[in-house]
Amino acid sequence: MSAAGGLVMRLTLEIHPVTEMRVGDATALQGTALSLEREELRRSLLEDQRLHAVDLEIVAPGEACRFGVVFDILEPRAKEPGAGSDFPGILDPITTAGRGLTHVLRGAAVTVIDETAPPATGKIVEMSGPAGAACPYAGLHHLIVVPHLQPGLSRPTVRHALRLASVKTAVHLARAALGQEPASTEVLETAGPLETERRGLPRLAYIGQVHSRQMVAEVNEQIFYGANTDGMVPTLLHPNEWLDGAVVAGYFNMGVETYFYQNHPVILELYRWHQERRITFVGAIATVAASDNEDRARNCMMAAQQAKWALGADGVVLTKYGGGAPHADMALTARICEELGMRTAVQVNDMSRDRSAESALLFNYPEVDAIVYTGGSDTEWAAPAVARAIAGSGTAAEALAAPQQLAATRVCGVTSQQGMARLRSFVY
Amino acid sequence: MRIVHYLNQFFGGVGGEERADISPQVREGALGPGRLLEQLLPGAQVVSTVVAGDNYAAERLDELKAAVLAQVRDAGAELFVAGPCFEAGRYGVAAGALCAAVQAELGIPAVTAMARENPGVDLYRQALHIVDSGTNAAAMREVVQKMLAVAQKLARHEALGKPAEEGYIPRGVLRDEFVEETAAQRLVKMLYAKTVGEPHESEFTAASFPPIPAPAPVADLSRATVAIVTDGGLVPRGNPDKIAPSAATNWGAYDITGLSDLRGQDYEVSHRGYDTRYVEQDPDRLVPVDALRELEKEGVVGKVYQRFISTSGLANPLANSRRLGREIAQKLKEEKVDAVILVSA
Repeated sequence: MSAAGGLVMRLTLEIHPVTEMRVGDATALQGTALSLEREELRRSLLEDQRLHAVDLEIVAPGEACRFGVVFDILEPRAKEPGAGSDFPGILDPITTAGRGLTHVLRGAAVTVIDETAPPATGKIVEMSGPAGAACPYAGLHHLIVVPHLQPGLSRPTVRHALRLASVKTAVHLARAALGQEPASTEVLETAGPLETERRGLPRLAYIGQVHSRQMVAEVNEQIFYGANTDGMVPTLLHPNEWLDGAVVAGYFNMGVETYFYQNHPVILELYRWHQERRITFVGAIATVAASDNEDRARNCMMAAQQAKWALGADGVVLTKYGGGAPHADMALTARICEELGMRTAVQVNDMSRDRSAESALLFNYPEVDAIVYTGGSDTEWAAPAVARAIAGSGTAAEALAAPQQLAATRVCGVTSQQGMARLRSFVY
Repeated sequence: MRIVHYLNQFFGGVGGEERADISPQVREGALGPGRLLEQLLPGAQVVSTVVAGDNYAAERLDELKAAVLAQVRDAGAELFVAGPCFEAGRYGVAAGALCAAVQAELGIPAVTAMARENPGVDLYRQALHIVDSGTNAAAMREVVQKMLAVAQKLARHEALGKPAEEGYIPRGVLRDEFVEETAAQRLVKMLYAKTVGEPHESEFTAASFPPIPAPAPVADLSRATVAIVTDGGLVPRGNPDKIAPSAATNWGAYDITGLSDLRGQDYEVSHRGYDTRYVEQDPDRLVPVDALRELEKEGVVGKVYQRFISTSGLANPLANSRRLGREIAQKLKEEKVDAVILVSA
């Protein structure tokens, strides 16, 4: 591969399927059974003085189990020693993510519970029943981490501690796969704008928001290579970097979990088309939704300019982050892309409280006419009592175990903003 | 199935524009397109047909409604059909109004058909399932067939499928459904098609809104009373009007007489869509009473209106926003306010 002068952006994922997770005497992967020695992990997590205790629970697919409030969900992954940093900027020093070998425990997840979040409205995972059938996390074996925090910590400090616990656990688990023969290997590689041997194929790119300044990022909110994105302008970010730990979910994370950055549905779909030689996947741009007009104008312009002149894209997929307002940033970026001669498709998340089509869109540009509309506002389930609930406290768990109406927007992944949603709104 | 059918003077065979003034006439049995209703649906019987002129319908709609309602009731109808109206505007508006009235007041299913361009569509698409007739009256048979299919489902209280499948004009109501492909798969597929110039079908089409004309400039600001209106949710501490932090249904007017600076300790913010800390520190950042008082002192503005008006604009359905806007405008008009500074969050 000479396109990039020998220094290729090639991410090799060694896939180790996990079909069973259990407590054991050592943390080890035997075949597809992952055993966890809890004390070792607990000691490691409690090195963080902000935690005074950690509960660790294991949940299997199909179990009548519900857990939350979910701080984040991650896929256990670890870099091959010498291949680069795990979660650079958060856990390890900054090196380029997305190159070399990464070990993946496929079928497993690390889910961190936020004991300080209000339980009635927070995000949950439902492992069984109809809500479970709709939840993309219900098919995974979860290691649930419930950190208990010292009293008196500020909210940002709490969440920073949760973030650290989440990445430490994900890496700790995946290190069980080091030295093991993988079941399969996935190679993800594109030289992006330097791809020269694919003439005639449409050049497609991705512009994704990784934060919305609706809620200004906390100083310690680590989103982008450990940074909180304050002052960030649109940035070229190789698709492999997204997949390999350069980006994690922020604190205000409606419909976003780190798991689907690591398994980014849009990026993986573009890669699939790229590998089938139907398109050239020329790259990706990370951006943020602004909270004032000048930032918005600047960001949208710069993202579109980069797609055009740095990536040479013919078409761009755009997704948003956060709540309603970021639709404006996404749509304006798309509009400028269209003006620059690129075609666009955008993902809109349902905001219409009264279910009227007229209240649904927060932009109105005739050229932004390829819209994928993910639903959610009027989908809910009458979820039965579950035998097992895991939450930040005993009382919270009791409340969570009771029969309740579960809104689709509360169940992780169902109304994903990362492209995972299968729930769509149709106009009737 | 017993049917009462409404036709205008033209389709009722009475005459053209010169007969557009005729008052409602009740005929026994089917006329014109009504015969197709009977032909295409075994067991269908058009009990009676009401015919009225387009001008009569436009000018005396209430009387027409009363006549039709009486007829539908007296005939023991199980279904009311109006049209098809194709592009005929007055006919479409009347048909929509009659169907809506029959449906709402008698609880009897009602169906009509129009071209999408018909002004009756915008007025009644939300209330009714209006079959898309297209503009070509020669397609009468197919249109009536679609109307009957829709009518039968309505009569059986069966859920109708999607507009394209059933042939009705979208009512603008959103419904969730799980689909096989993820959003990412749909996005890439759609983008590819659009990029290579193949047809692509958006999952949503932006609604069209009439443009809002800009009001005339304030003639003399130095003599004007200026008010501040915000959707950023600033309220006095305790939120006395209980303005909801999202999809608010009310607004409040809060006294600022004698104030030239709003202090954070006196206010709070009821809004979940932005980082409210900066406004809570200094509410003038959202409701700039401080700056406006200076302009008042300098004589740039005549007078600052004694209250600021506030609601929460987050995720608010348009119908609700329109009402709030009208109420606020009405209030300011009554208070003789000349100009408004609208501050969004």
